[in-house]
Amino acid sequence: MRSVLLALLAKESAHGYELKQALEQTFGSAYPSPNIGQVYVTLGRLEKDGLVRGEDVTQSNRPNKRVYDLTPAGREAVAEWLDAPSDGPRLRSEFFVKLTLAPLAGAADRMTLINRQRRHCLNLMRGLTEPGHPEERGNRVATLLVEGARLHLQADLEWLERCQEALT
Amino acid sequence: MSRVETPDEASGAMIRTKDLRKVHHADGTDVHAIRGIDLVVRPGEFVAVMGPSGSGKSTVLHLLAGLVPATTGEIWLRGNRLSELSEADRAVLRRRHVGVVFQFFNLISNMTVADNVELPALLAGASPKQARTRREHLLEELGLSDRADTSPARLSGGQQQRVALARALANEPSLLLADEPTGNLDSTNTRDVVRLLESVHDQGQTILLVTHDARVASAADRVISLFDGMIVDDADIRPAYDSKNTIGSILDL
Amino acid sequence: MHATIRWIRADLRTRPGQALLSVSVVAGVVTALILAITMLAGAMDPWKGVFARSNGAHVWIHAPAGTDLTPLSHMDGVTGVSGPYQTTAATAVHEGQRAPLELRAMGSELPEVGRPVLAKGHWLDPSRSGGIVLERTLARVLRIEVGDTLNVRGLDARQHDLQVAGIADESDQGPYPAVTPGLVWALPGTVSGIEPDTESTELLIGLKLSDQSASDFFVQHAVTVLGGDRVSRVSTWHQVRASMEVDSRLLGLLLGMFGVVALIAAALAIGNATGGRILSLLQDIALLKALGFTPAQIRRMLLLEQTCLGIAGVILGIIAGSVLTTSSLSQRLFGSVTGTATAPLSLGRLALIAVATVATVAVATLLPAWRGSRVSPTSTVTAEPPSGRLSRFARVALLVRLPPALVLGARDAFTRRMRAIMTIGGLAIPMVMVTIALGCWSTLDNFEDHPEEIGLAGALIARPVGQQDYEAATVIAADRDVAAVYPEEQTDALLPGQTRTIQARALGTSKQPYPFPIHDGRMYARPGEAVAGQGLLDLLHVHVGDRIRLTVTGVPVIIHIVGRTIEPSLSGEVLSFGMDTLQQSGAPTSRLSYRIVLRHGAAVDAVRTRLLRESADKLDIQTAQNPAQRLLIVRVVILGLLIVLALIGAANLLTAASVGLRDHLRDIVVLRAMGLTPRQVTTALVAGTSVLALIAVIAGIGGGLAMSTWLIDLQGRTSGIGAGIGRAPTVFGLALAALAALGLAALTAFVLARKAISIDVREVSRF
Repeated sequence: MRSVLLALLAKESAHGYELKQALEQTFGSAYPSPNIGQVYVTLGRLEKDGLVRGEDVTQSNRPNKRVYDLTPAGREAVAEWLDAPSDGPRLRSEFFVKLTLAPLAGAADRMTLINRQRRHCLNLMRGLTEPGHPEERGNRVATLLVEGARLHLQADLEWLERCQEALT
Repeated sequence: MSRVETPDEASGAMIRTKDLRKVHHADGTDVHAIRGIDLVVRPGEFVAVMGPSGSGKSTVLHLLAGLVPATTGEIWLRGNRLSELSEADRAVLRRRHVGVVFQFFNLISNMTVADNVELPALLAGASPKQARTRREHLLEELGLSDRADTSPARLSGGQQQRVALARALANEPSLLLADEPTGNLDSTNTRDVVRLLESVHDQGQTILLVTHDARVASAADRVISLFDGMIVDDADIRPAYDSKNTIGSILDL
Repeated sequence: MHATIRWIRADLRTRPGQALLSVSVVAGVVTALILAITMLAGAMDPWKGVFARSNGAHVWIHAPAGTDLTPLSHMDGVTGVSGPYQTTAATAVHEGQRAPLELRAMGSELPEVGRPVLAKGHWLDPSRSGGIVLERTLARVLRIEVGDTLNVRGLDARQHDLQVAGIADESDQGPYPAVTPGLVWALPGTVSGIEPDTESTELLIGLKLSDQSASDFFVQHAVTVLGGDRVSRVSTWHQVRASMEVDSRLLGLLLGMFGVVALIAAALAIGNATGGRILSLLQDIALLKALGFTPAQIRRMLLLEQTCLGIAGVILGIIAGSVLTTSSLSQRLFGSVTGTATAPLSLGRLALIAVATVATVAVATLLPAWRGSRVSPTSTVTAEPPSGRLSRFARVALLVRLPPALVLGARDAFTRRMRAIMTIGGLAIPMVMVTIALGCWSTLDNFEDHPEEIGLAGALIARPVGQQDYEAATVIAADRDVAAVYPEEQTDALLPGQTRTIQARALGTSKQPYPFPIHDGRMYARPGEAVAGQGLLDLLHVHVGDRIRLTVTGVPVIIHIVGRTIEPSLSGEVLSFGMDTLQQSGAPTSRLSYRIVLRHGAAVDAVRTRLLRESADKLDIQTAQNPAQRLLIVRVVILGLLIVLALIGAANLLTAASVGLRDHLRDIVVLRAMGLTPRQVTTALVAGTSVLALIAVIAGIGGGLAMSTWLIDLQGRTSGIGAGIGRAPTVFGLALAALAALGLAALTAFVLARKAISIDVREVSRF
């Protein structure tokens, strides 16, 4: 949630309720709809960590709303988050979020993201078959683990291709 | 083919393409299979080409092998410009310097395994004796000596691909091209073929293969990603050596 | 080259059935060609065959008894001697016919030179005295067969009944009765029994020369050596050959036609078979190209393979053909068909047949080989048949609820349009030829059944033996089976400015003209009018309606040609007019004979015998020669052609069925999985081939019918006999041919379908 909110704020400042709406609009029914309380709590933590800055804006006939904005530190965090490849089961959620939000963040173009993720998967795959690996020692259990990992990586790569086709 | 040393021979590129394009004409519509590819492969490199179906992977391979002519653009294979060569000249070039392995139908159905492996040598002008010697050596290396007189239809898929590889390597070609060599194979056979490729590569063979299998691709030094007829990524593969956590990071143990 | 040979060897090893098919087709065609050309060549030039077979002598000399003939054998240029033999004159009487004979004394061992060629029965045997051997033409005229008895009367009028042991051909004398006397061979004992007085006999010697063109000089020389009074008669091979000449234009045309047809049919079958074979090889060809075979290499490879098979077939065919034409049994068979001895083909002719066939094979392979070499090296799905849209016919058929298997089969037969067309063509063209062949057969039947339609209304020809013509006509007309009698006079007419004479024939009168079959113009109705055969019109470059000037026995006449008739004799170079034309021109009538037209259904032989009896041997009565008898050889050739065509058709069918099978191997598995029973699958495959065969049969018979009569008439026209002889094939014959073709198609498909059903599913799904 943290990185998502940061990425959303990278585009423009917003207050909590707007952020919730943005989440729902962007991800539709696929993303579990967060309750507004969770949003405010996460925003609070982000502010405490110095990644966002909140400002109260007075409104005429409503209670004041707090508008949040990224700090330079926050911008850096977004950039780092986008750059770093994702792993494992978090790939689908985290990477997908990155892929969808990247243009909003004005950051690296989607193709580059996909390429980077792909390279990472291939490097991992290569690492699985390098010598010295448990598989070489004929350990049956280890072999099965390796096989499982390989299959996941293959699936991830194919999903990356789908994303490429659909989103670029 | 002039004998003046071309820039490629001087610099040593095995393959070089420049703005390579290929258009298929089918049923009245034009399909742009390859939309401008610039590529250089050095001797001794092991390159994998990946991409979704329809990205033009197989077409690139066919173009590089000189099996089909390019629509526009240039290909230099060992310094020979393919667009200058007739179909017959390309065939002659191919028989001496290029070994090709396809996904299916790799072996001549009415010849035995031995005949299949000897054929390229005979074609290149070797005597039947020389061809036989080379064939015996290759089949032994691949552990298929006992199948020399079998017909290809009786071999399993994995055996067929290994024989196909033997045949492709029979003439010690400068370049080995493979189109989805493990596409039809199960995991064990895929492993065997990958190991074969790696060992051949260790001996200095230049390999370019097309695959959708990550395992096969990751065995290569370099992976080129094709999308919609163009190259979108060209990266060297390095093993992720924080591998203690590799499996854990994938499987979330 | 090593690679090419390796591939060819492997291909032949794995597909022996197809290779065998190609070889068989070629061998069959070559054998048929050898047989046909041997027979036809023999019939076209009868002298040559007999001369070769009998190792004939170039010069024959009759000398009075007691002459010393040894000096002749030592003369320059003599390479072989036959005889000398003792000969005597005699007369044979048989069934009312008299024939002058020359009896020749010969031993039981046949001589080296001038050897009689036995056609039926056996040669003279000392243990059976009283046996004789007749020369073939004599036996034919006397209507004598082996085993009959011949009554021979010597010069002293004593009668001897001699048994005919055999019939033989000889090349030293022309055919009886054109050349007399007829030849009879007997043992020396028999001859001396008939003519004990040697002074009344003669000696005969035959001499073979090293230079046959010097025969005339040799004769001069020989007469000088022997002395003019010691030579009674001399004949050279020139004269013999001239007297044996037959009208060979029709046969020559037939020869050419048969050869061309056989080669075309063979080319078709081979082209089809090769095309089908290459289709199954497309995948491999693509791979060969990927390995580095150039398109030219692929073409050369396919061509080489097929040519080698062709050469093997040619060698087989030559061996078979040679055995069949040189074994004594088949030579006798040929002899009975052609009416003379036939010599086997020379090496030069065999070589020509071989070269022509191999060339045909090569040409037939060119197109499939070229198409095969154009396969793209990257095609991996060329083995798949292009998907056919469901044709309108198929949709209708489905609507009408035809069994799905039938519909599937019929539709799938057309998935490869080009192949379907080639298969239909491969069957239709033989069907066209079969139809035309059947048309020829009907035409010959018509010659026999309706001789009046080819100008042979008169079945008998009567020649008075020293009797006034007035009486002869009455006697003949009195017979109950005689419908009409026409006086006839044959004479020569000289064309002004030409050294050639033509046969002019006065037959019937202008008031009662002979029933010629007129095809252009009309019958002659006045003196001075005439009808002509096509050959004559061509010879004189005139048309019906023209007038020509002739000199008939010294009298110039102007003849108006008013009609064209079918004229089977003398290549149609005959002019026919009424007797009154001849009388009016003042030309003397001398050799009168009568043509007798019998009542419909009368037995010719019975009437002949009766007339002979009634005329008390004062009439010499012969049956008119029907060309259908001479053209017996054509029937045999037609049969041979039908066999070759059946072979070709079968080969094409096999190819079509096996290509269909290959296309459907995968489909069959799917069909079986879908629940189609093996029987339904078989039905689908059989239906597919049968539909193609049905279309081919209909197209072939249709095309053949359109062309048959026209072609036969064309042949008739060019041979001089005249257009109008052609007849359409019988319905029965066509139905038989159609059923045979369809049956064959269904059978081949059925056999292959059974094989398809039993193919292992796993092997197929591998592909």
